[in-house]
Amino acid sequence: MKTILYWLLQVAAALLLAPLPIGAIRKVKALVQKRKGAPLLQLYRDLLKLLRKSAVVSDATSWVLRAAPFVVFATSLFAAAMMPATVRVLPDAFPGDLILFFFVLALGRFFLVLSGMDAGSSFGGMGSAREAMISALVEPAMLVGLFAVGLFAKTTSIPGVLAATSALGFPLLQPSLLLVFLALVLVLLAETSRIPVDDPATHLELTMVHEAMVLEDSGRHLALLEYGAALKQYALLALLADVFLPYDPFAAVPGVPGVLLALVAFAVKLLFLSLLVGAVEAATVKLRFFSVPNLAAIAFILSFLGVLQFLIPGR
Amino acid sequence: MEPFSVVLSALLLLSAFVLMASKRIHSYIGAFRVQAVLVALNTGLLGLTTVAATGRVDLLVVCAAILALKVWYIPRVLHRTYRAVEYRVEKDFLFNIPTLVLLSLSLVVVVFVAVSRIGAVQDGTTLVLLVDSLSTALVGLFFLISRKKAIGQIVGLLAIENGLFVTALYASNGMPFIVDIGVFIDLVSAVLILGVLVFRIESAFETTDTDAMSDLKG
Amino acid sequence: MELLLWLVPIVALAVLALPLPRRVRHAVSLAETLATAAVATFATWTVLTQGTAAPAMPGNLFYLDAVSVILLDLVALVGLLTSLYTIGYVEEEIRRGSLDPKKVRALYLLIHGFLFTMVLTLTLRNLGGVWIAIEATTLASVFLVGFHNGKAALEAAWKYIILCSVGITLAMIGIVFLNSAAQGVLAEGTSLDWTALFARADSLDGSYLKFAFIFLLIGFGTKAGLAPMHNWLPDAHSQAPSPVSALLSGVLLNAAMYAILRTAAIVNRNLGSSLYTGRLLVGLGVLSVATAAVFLLTQKDYKRLLAYSSIEHMGLAAIGIGLFTPLSLFAAFYHMINHSLTKSLLFLSSGTVLQKTGTREIGRVGGLLKLLPVTGPVFLLGLVAIGGTPPFSLFASELALLTSVFQQKLYVLGAGIALLLALVFAGIIQALFRVFYPRPAAVAAARAGTAPAPAAPLVPGEPNRFGAVAVVVLLALILVTGVFLPSWLTKLIDAAQTILTGQGGG
Repeated sequence: MKTILYWLLQVAAALLLAPLPIGAIRKVKALVQKRKGAPLLQLYRDLLKLLRKSAVVSDATSWVLRAAPFVVFATSLFAAAMMPATVRVLPDAFPGDLILFFFVLALGRFFLVLSGMDAGSSFGGMGSAREAMISALVEPAMLVGLFAVGLFAKTTSIPGVLAATSALGFPLLQPSLLLVFLALVLVLLAETSRIPVDDPATHLELTMVHEAMVLEDSGRHLALLEYGAALKQYALLALLADVFLPYDPFAAVPGVPGVLLALVAFAVKLLFLSLLVGAVEAATVKLRFFSVPNLAAIAFILSFLGVLQFLIPGR
Repeated sequence: MEPFSVVLSALLLLSAFVLMASKRIHSYIGAFRVQAVLVALNTGLLGLTTVAATGRVDLLVVCAAILALKVWYIPRVLHRTYRAVEYRVEKDFLFNIPTLVLLSLSLVVVVFVAVSRIGAVQDGTTLVLLVDSLSTALVGLFFLISRKKAIGQIVGLLAIENGLFVTALYASNGMPFIVDIGVFIDLVSAVLILGVLVFRIESAFETTDTDAMSDLKG
Repeated sequence: MELLLWLVPIVALAVLALPLPRRVRHAVSLAETLATAAVATFATWTVLTQGTAAPAMPGNLFYLDAVSVILLDLVALVGLLTSLYTIGYVEEEIRRGSLDPKKVRALYLLIHGFLFTMVLTLTLRNLGGVWIAIEATTLASVFLVGFHNGKAALEAAWKYIILCSVGITLAMIGIVFLNSAAQGVLAEGTSLDWTALFARADSLDGSYLKFAFIFLLIGFGTKAGLAPMHNWLPDAHSQAPSPVSALLSGVLLNAAMYAILRTAAIVNRNLGSSLYTGRLLVGLGVLSVATAAVFLLTQKDYKRLLAYSSIEHMGLAAIGIGLFTPLSLFAAFYHMINHSLTKSLLFLSSGTVLQKTGTREIGRVGGLLKLLPVTGPVFLLGLVAIGGTPPFSLFASELALLTSVFQQKLYVLGAGIALLLALVFAGIIQALFRVFYPRPAAVAAARAGTAPAPAAPLVPGEPNRFGAVAVVVLLALILVTGVFLPSWLTKLIDAAQTILTGQGGG
């Protein structure tokens, strides 16, 4: 019973909160650039509009193109739901796992890359090739980073990890966690097509990555893909917020009001991290594609140093 | 104090990697300055602890010297030298940057293995501190080897010295005062001399690429 | 009284900084080295009679015992003869137009600063201080190496300062770990004191010391020119003005060796055997001799030839220190003395040769015995001596070293060293024949081909009379010490050896 309640709560939180960080990041960028920018909730409206429209699907494509939006959406939602929005309600069974989290996201990306190539258009193929290269470069960093967290907590079960880091008080004072945090921020930028790696706002075909892959999709399919991307970003932000900023200012408030307050606190953490990402985006320029390996190397170094910092004292 | 030292040491090591990964002379100097700030913070922290414990202020004096020399004066000299020479970006390295960075990572592992064989270092925290600071020095050495422009080599030398100084701090709460000060005087004169040499090399070779200096062989 | 060793150079430096006529500068320089030599003699006498010389002063920084006084005497002696040589050298350079008279002041200031830092290295009690002084020797001599400001000289200077500074920084890591080994064992403030470290060596932590020694050996070994860290040495020694080459090769290398000697003694005493340091030192030593032998065989530049020979002899000294038996230490000291004298003789006379013929190339010199009636034959004999031929002193010390190797029953090592020495000998003798008995056609062709023909044909005669005196004195010294060691010197070396092995009270 508790398990069902937990997952319902998680799915609801994920669906509701996922488009929020993207709106926040866009707003921050707009403000930095002295523009007014779109309203904070614009993405919600876009998604609703797209969901109401039917999809146009080319005859030249296979089932992959039609299945991909659903797979991407489902995997992202699953990953997002694995990251607890609050630890007040915890399930008895199957609490979610860091390694599973990683591979569920990888499955979604696999389908996304396939669908980009399915129509046989040159841009889709380019986007897929780039996405595959970026992810191949960034995944080691992410996996090693998650291992570091797992080593630290002595478990990869997500609530277990949360319990271990929130017991620390201020986890970023642990050198290993600090380095992993920095690594995961870089991973987040690369994985969610943010600026040093990809430009989410561009429609210049030669430079886009994510946008190029979804060129063939429209209507409801596009809505699912965009929603999926938002959920993936939400999942990664929630990972950072849960593991590295495990504060609950309303720990003393019991019952349903407590849960709601904790959810608000969680949303504030997400907004804070979005601000951070927005600031990074506003302050940097897009890297040349062939400089991406440098960024990935740095992310990997950070993760690996994090593991070392953890292992060294224990010999 | 200890958790702060550990974090600072990790950041110090990180700054060495940032140095290793940067391409522009400008960012070398910037990364070095950040590193120097971290060294100063470390010294200051330890200095405050010793003042509280024994009343000795020499570490605070050293900290002030670091702030004055490494954070302010030496970067300024380097910037001046940099403005006077013609290049801005280093293009060719020993290997490409990701390879260099990964090799530096393996250096850290080597240091870890070597230091953990010192029987006297029993305490885990000390071990981390020593591994971090010593790796900073060795990554600096590797940086020096991998760069071919004269300013890069100067920065490498300074980075080695940074790592070394912090190693001294962690290993034994700093060296005897007179040694610390003597090391500083040596360091500053070395940087000044190197700066003068860079100008002379520039005018003689019309480049500061040390690869151009290959007349002397055998 | 011994503190005059520090005061004299400081006063001299202050005087040399004043605007003075050139003749006065020459006089001040000579007077400074004479005074240093006199004080060094006095210090030697004190050490001979009292064992150590450590006059009271604030901080107790000054310390001399038999180990350091031997090398200090070398600094004083070579310094004296070099400054004598420099007078004639400078005058001749100015006459030939290759030295701006305005730069004489800088040259003298740097040379005396360099000498002072070497004296400091040998007289400081504190290992940290020694480190500072050794780094200061680099800083003081880098502009001497690059003195001519040509491309090659600047390249040599850059290599010299970068490699030596990096090396010395690595040595600092070693010192840091030595210092932390001493924490808690030695009193605050004496944690890097040679004597204190040595006296309490047994209670230090061996694992720290082992770790520290590797870094110290790499660091000071760079400065001592041991392969594979020797890259800077041939360049610096060949590009520097000849009197400076003599100082670099003759005494600076010894100063670096001195630091290795002291630290090796501490580590050996702690570990109870010389196996650990021995393996490292003998390994580097053999590698140095081998590297030098290869480059000696194919060398075309006679100053580089001499530089590589320095690497070889430092390698031999390192082997002697590595074995760490009484006989091998005796041989190492004796060898360092002989090498200093012979090598400074050679560099000084090569400077005269360079001034006379204007070329560094072995194949182009030719006719030296006629051109330089005094320096020519001395140079010839010096080359014979550096190859390790009797009756010169290097033969005696090499023999002592080989004996000590065989005494330890290290037959393979001994045979290897003997073979390498034969190769070195072959290289040097080959060069010697090309210098002194060239095929006239080859010289003529070489002169006509690439070099502009000298304005006037070279006339026989000594360009540097002071220099001729200096090299003749050195030749006499190596001849005498080759056949006969004065008893005070034997006593001094024995005392040094006893101090290092810690036998007989230390």
